[in-house]
Amino acid sequence: MRRAVILDLAIGSDLSVPEAADVVVAARDAGVSAIRLLDGSAGQLLDPSTVASYLAPRLADVHWIVDAPTTHNAPYNLARRILALDRATAGRSGLVLRAGEGDEVSAAAAPDPSASGRAQRWAEYARVLTRLWESFPAGALLGDQAAGLVADDSLIRGIGHEGSFYRVAGPLDGPSSPQGRPVLAAADMDQLDWASVAGAADVVVVNRAQAPGAQGALADALGRTGRKRAEIALVGRVEVTAAEASASNVAAELDEWATSMGLDGLELRPPDGRAGALIVAQNVLPRLQSSAGASLRAALGLPELTGART
Amino acid sequence: MSRQLHINVNILNAGVFGGSWRFPGTDGLASFTIEHYTSIAKKAEAAKLDAVFLADGPVVDPNIRYRPNNNLEPTTVLARIAAQTERIGLIGTLSSSYNDPVELGRRLGDLDYISGGRLGWNVVTTAGAAAARNFGRPAEPDHSLRYRRAAAFTEQVVAQWDARRDARAGFASPQGRPVVVQAGGSSDGRRLASRVGEVIFSADQDIDHARAFRTEIRSGAVHFGRRPEDIVLLPGLSTVLGSTEEEARRRREILDEVLPDAYARRRLSGQLGISLEGLSDAAPIPAELLVEPDEAGGSQTFYRVVKAIIDKENPTLGQLLRKLSGGGGHRIVVGTPEQIAVDMERWFRYGAADGFNVMPDVLPSGFDDFADQLIPELQRRGLFRWEYDATTLRGHLGLRAPAQAAVPHEAVSLEAAR
Repeated sequence: MRRAVILDLAIGSDLSVPEAADVVVAARDAGVSAIRLLDGSAGQLLDPSTVASYLAPRLADVHWIVDAPTTHNAPYNLARRILALDRATAGRSGLVLRAGEGDEVSAAAAPDPSASGRAQRWAEYARVLTRLWESFPAGALLGDQAAGLVADDSLIRGIGHEGSFYRVAGPLDGPSSPQGRPVLAAADMDQLDWASVAGAADVVVVNRAQAPGAQGALADALGRTGRKRAEIALVGRVEVTAAEASASNVAAELDEWATSMGLDGLELRPPDGRAGALIVAQNVLPRLQSSAGASLRAALGLPELTGART
Repeated sequence: MSRQLHINVNILNAGVFGGSWRFPGTDGLASFTIEHYTSIAKKAEAAKLDAVFLADGPVVDPNIRYRPNNNLEPTTVLARIAAQTERIGLIGTLSSSYNDPVELGRRLGDLDYISGGRLGWNVVTTAGAAAARNFGRPAEPDHSLRYRRAAAFTEQVVAQWDARRDARAGFASPQGRPVVVQAGGSSDGRRLASRVGEVIFSADQDIDHARAFRTEIRSGAVHFGRRPEDIVLLPGLSTVLGSTEEEARRRREILDEVLPDAYARRRLSGQLGISLEGLSDAAPIPAELLVEPDEAGGSQTFYRVVKAIIDKENPTLGQLLRKLSGGGGHRIVVGTPEQIAVDMERWFRYGAADGFNVMPDVLPSGFDDFADQLIPELQRRGLFRWEYDATTLRGHLGLRAPAQAAVPHEAVSLEAAR
């Protein structure tokens, strides 16, 4: 069975940008569905959105999922940056919105200064992102030189978001992406709850400990939102350290695990450093049946967005 | 080697004029694609320019109906340009009011590292209520508070960059630290420029005024313990090039003809912060509508430039709109490569400029002409480099890596005055 297969890379002090490019090439040749760039502390890892923007033009058909936390990022800024990456990669990008705290700019103007809770913040932030990403539909661009009209601005609408943590008027500065909007993933199920995630995420990443029961919990939560199960990819994340000889055993075990847990995809976290990552990319990835597609949504096996005003 | 010009190209989406996107032979929506920016950057590198420059604000331009806006987040664009070029500097505009300094300092430092030391950060405070509303605020913060925050914010970011000079911190900048660029023409902006600016992007119509401005900023720098040569002043320059004088003049006329009527008034009205409703094209703007620049809200730089034109020439509203032609209020030069080279040399030798932030009339065609015709003219005159002799932006600009900053100022919130 074909599944989304994502390879994690932590680019920075243990894996330089040129080394990472080697690994990405190997992963691409092995059919990987997407590369996820992890975030970490400054000085250890490089900013993922910047690295993805830098690597993308050299590796035109690769799909990118970048990590960024709510912490220190105002939603309008992060929405812009990720949409710019998604447009620059022709609809091949997405974001893992990491659970966290607020940013200095938004906090000083928070509608409810007493609001707290990472799950609540995440849910509100995710809603702001998805609405901003659709606030300037690409279809609004006219480019009618004869009539002197660049865009039909009646289609470009603010979102008027008034929540507990954020107040964001919108609309975003640029037109929507070829895949409707960037893919939005959740990954911190130790801090988030299924109800928050089911409302906005396209992808939910769980670890080995969280995988049992995830399928059922997701289905329950989705039932209350009106979204269909097929609209979300449930992805199991594992650390993989495979020697060449054991690669087929590793792949078989992963496949079996994914099937038993009802997972739509696998995310492999190779060892830090070029050598370990290359072994996983060259030996494990080819043995997994990875899904593919032009957009990131398609590569992850997600249906086209129907609600997007594009 | 004798002193030479420093030249950046401002890739201002479709071009600086309000009608640039309608110019005959132009793809009106090209500036909504990433390739528009990367291909101009490659051309700029082939022409040995110091840097590409991206203007920006975290907001959709209210005039999007009539002209393309800045619509791609700058660090994303510059990272992509970095991957497709080797030498050219990369200057991005990022707001000090609406970013978190911890995140911005790290992201810019990382981009500088990845690009091999080619980054410059244009610090802006971001005028306008529309941007403020994207960050939870009903109106733009008070002008002086925005600038107080900008000063503290810049020092926080610079202190983060300086911390990377310690090899153990990781990702040290190949140019010491990114170059700080600053553009504000207000009193507060000029003080910030003298204190932390290394490249100053100014707006000036008049050569004597520009020279006085340059002198003021350079002596201001001395006041803050810096050397005059630690600052490079680059006035904005909108270029309209033709292979003959007549061709250039005709190009300028076409730019007026294709300027969407509704746009020019709306833009001027927005930038002056006053309503032009009901005013006749045939008469000057009534003097009582125009306050002193330091009292103006919004962009004081633009206000100052327009007010100077009004005070000097007393144009009718129609004449003023044509003169600005939907542009940013920067000086427009129209002519052959030789004529414009003479003009640039005159400003340079007179001490009014160290070079220019060039804003071509139409992108990409106006920049193609600039790179293919005007740059060789400047090179023949010994005014511009034939080859790069440095690998970093700081190197191109002839700036030394500054000494480590003093203890950073305390953070200033936009709500400090409440």
